Amino acid sequence: MLASAETVAGFMRTKWAWPVSESLHFTGLGLLFGTIGIFDLRLLGVAKGIPIAALHKLVPWGVGGFFLTVATGMLFLLTEPDQYIFNSAFHLKVLFMFLAGLNMSLFYLVAFPRVKSVAEGEDVPFMAKCIGGASLCLWLGVIIFGRLLTFYRPFPCGPEGPGFVSACLSWVSY
Amino acid sequence: MDPIFIWIETSGLSVWARESTSLFAFPGILALHAIGMAIVAGMSTAIALRILGIAPDVSLGEMKRFVPIIWFGFWVNLSSGIILLIAYPTKALTDPVFYFKITCVTVGILLFKRISRRVLDRSSIGFPLGARTERWLAIGSLVCWVGAIGGGRFLAYTYVKLMTI
Repeated sequence: MLASAETVAGFMRTKWAWPVSESLHFTGLGLLFGTIGIFDLRLLGVAKGIPIAALHKLVPWGVGGFFLTVATGMLFLLTEPDQYIFNSAFHLKVLFMFLAGLNMSLFYLVAFPRVKSVAEGEDVPFMAKCIGGASLCLWLGVIIFGRLLTFYRPFPCGPEGPGFVSACLSWVSY
Repeated sequence: MDPIFIWIETSGLSVWARESTSLFAFPGILALHAIGMAIVAGMSTAIALRILGIAPDVSLGEMKRFVPIIWFGFWVNLSSGIILLIAYPTKALTDPVFYFKITCVTVGILLFKRISRRVLDRSSIGFPLGARTERWLAIGSLVCWVGAIGGGRFLAYTYVKLMTI
């Protein structure tokens, strides 16, 4: 694990590796939020003319986007673990991802068997609407806390440790 | 350009966006920009995937119902982007990557307009676009959003001058 982390860090510290990885990370999040977001909006009643099963075929692309974000996320974590492990925004980001995963499991275990046969023009059960709404909120939370990561870096902005440190703003890469 | 950059960077909005310790200032504006990006680029991508044949049982006309939401995301991005530009005008306007990003966003939005009017709206006046044209519009849209996302990210690493003041 340590050896692979060193290899990853060596690659990630080359000139363009980090911005390319970040760009792929954002592309993955766009794919995830775009496809799964549209599916969640359908659950909430937007574009009721679309049968659920038909629209659900977009979801695997969202899952692909998720794996792209996780893969690139692991590159960041393995290279600069302290910047994330001691970062309260990262803790919240992971918590929201975990809750989004739980929410998704609930959907497939409980709601989907009934929801998948919802035809065009029909509404989904109330529970599925709640799951869709929660999904949107949770992924928005993941995006927000991901963006706030840079403002909760523990080091080397100052000895104050985790917390909002305005001294970081003058050099932070946004 | 320096006097203009100084004028902008010393303005109240610029100073607030850049130096306020409120989470709703710089961090919040960046978060809004990321949300807008996820909506515009993400949902446009979903529509482009549909045009390219993913989820073929989904009616294109029904996909048009997501268009207002994508426009909402665009306006969130435009507003937050303008404030970010006001906060750091030198950083953006002296970086060629910024112009690449804006070009990608502009072309991406123009393609999105064309897609929503001519591909998703089958009742629109004018002869229908061929399937091949529709696919190229979708591919072009995907390329533009990837370019805009990448350009936006690279901005943080390619700027030569942060501020003029």
